[in-house]
Amino acid sequence: MTSVAERPDPMSDPVSRHTPPAARRDLGWIGIPLVAAVGLAAYWLLPDDLALLTRIAASALFVLSLDLVLGYGGIATLGQAAMFGTGAYAAGIVAVNWINDPFAMLAAGGIAGGGIALATGALILHARGLTLLMLTIAVGQIVQEVANKARDWTGGSDGLSGIDPAPVLGLFRFDMFGRTSYLFALAVLVAGLLVARRIMRSPFGLACRGVREDPLRISAIGGSPKSYLVALYAVAGVFAGVAGALTAVTSGIVGLDSAGFPWSAEALVMLVLGGTGRLYGAVIGTAAFMGIHHILAASDPFHWMGFIGLFLIGIVLFLPGGIASGLERLGGLLRRKEDRA
Amino acid sequence: MTKLLEVEGLAKNFGGLQVSADISMTLNAGDRCALIGPNGAGKTTFVNLVTGVIPPSAGTIRLAGRDITRLPAAERVRLGLIRSFQVARLFKSMTVREHLELAVLQRDRRTFRLFASVGKVAGLADEVAGLLDTMGLTQAAHTAVGSLAYGQQRLLEIALALAMKPKVLILDEPAAGVPHSESQRILDAIDRLPEDLAVLMIEHDMDLVFRFARTIVVLAQGRLLCSGTAKEIVADPRVREVYLGSRADAR
Repeated sequence: MTSVAERPDPMSDPVSRHTPPAARRDLGWIGIPLVAAVGLAAYWLLPDDLALLTRIAASALFVLSLDLVLGYGGIATLGQAAMFGTGAYAAGIVAVNWINDPFAMLAAGGIAGGGIALATGALILHARGLTLLMLTIAVGQIVQEVANKARDWTGGSDGLSGIDPAPVLGLFRFDMFGRTSYLFALAVLVAGLLVARRIMRSPFGLACRGVREDPLRISAIGGSPKSYLVALYAVAGVFAGVAGALTAVTSGIVGLDSAGFPWSAEALVMLVLGGTGRLYGAVIGTAAFMGIHHILAASDPFHWMGFIGLFLIGIVLFLPGGIASGLERLGGLLRRKEDRA
Repeated sequence: MTKLLEVEGLAKNFGGLQVSADISMTLNAGDRCALIGPNGAGKTTFVNLVTGVIPPSAGTIRLAGRDITRLPAAERVRLGLIRSFQVARLFKSMTVREHLELAVLQRDRRTFRLFASVGKVAGLADEVAGLLDTMGLTQAAHTAVGSLAYGQQRLLEIALALAMKPKVLILDEPAAGVPHSESQRILDAIDRLPEDLAVLMIEHDMDLVFRFARTIVVLAQGRLLCSGTAKEIVADPRVREVYLGSRADAR
């Protein structure tokens, strides 16, 4: 039996309780076109900061992969950079040794990231909570150490350089101003958002949300929570691998830090800042984190992390759903005013 | 009549403590059976044994002729042995509709489609609409379960079980937490379940039991005390002693 407090007015008044589909979806609808529009506007408004904007776009795709794992699957991880780094190295190695077409590099990164996620996910995803967190960190450390030791392929601690991607579609060269790089990264990010949205609205996405909320209830309707989690981890691994490959394409270099623990942790901070479980929250969080970093690091290079910390505390205390939830609330207020008018 | 669920000599010991001993019963297609017994009689243990939540120490369980004694819980669900939970156990942020969509997709093993849209899966919308209608939940379809009235959550529990196309449905106190005045709506919903289904209801409320059950099985101290029609059970002096009588005395 449940307590009395948990069951107010049973059965009463189903009609007034009926609310239109959650407000967050309305913003989800305009979220992706908005990312594309703001991204293009930034291209014209901030022509001197294209390198930063490119990094933001590629990182946002990485944080998006973390949102799939954490926001939709409820998998606590501090090792997402393992897939990012694997994807980046795979793309770099493919470009240096065999084929330097940018799309082939992205494909290599996606396959490598998805593959490593599938292999490690099947091993570690029976664990939950703190144990799982430790295991994900361990996987990240192993990947980093393998990259460090395989000097012949990865360049070890010197990094893998000499990546020179061919023109996009044979037409658009990667120019020294970074215009092609940025537009390419933005296009890949928007495509990634569209694919992620599609997946999360599929039967698979629905099942993953169910697993996040109550894995045992999924068993009770005949599903296997672990197989959903492993599949989701692999899908997110593909996204992370593509993000790593995108960084290799646009920066021309892959370093050991791309698979490092700090990069996993930073991605988590960006995701929490932006808001989990929304996809575009990942983009907002990444842009906010890296934008603030860029501005503060220029004006106060010694204390910028402190400001980020204060900002994060403020968000977690006053907007637990991240910046995106604040925007949604704002959107909800505006809509209510319109309704009244 | 087809025997859907056959339980033979089912027993469970936790160390030296015997919580269930030598329970045998059969459910046929179309049965409406209530499992009753005083607190601590082992009703929940029995449900957990049959559904595969805990393994039995002895005995066999057959579903539609197939031995399922050693099958894991999820596999039994796929074979059509479905339960509802005593405390509504639902996905709080998902809407009523999404619950039923998930259950139907899971039943048909279509949940690993990554690029299909839930809204466009053939036949899904119609089936979900039918389930909503059967349970009287159509108006609440788009409400998140977290903000749903408790009685409606109970209806959704039954709808979820029904969405799995069960052969045998075990309802664990389906009206628990719902005020007596409202329990009729739960019963009405149960009345609309397909006729050929075998339904086993675990229930405390004798009023509900007599309104629902054609046959009654009584458990006491982990053992099967007796079984029979509602009339026989009421007349049985042993039942009066362990269950009805002691309750009447308490009043």
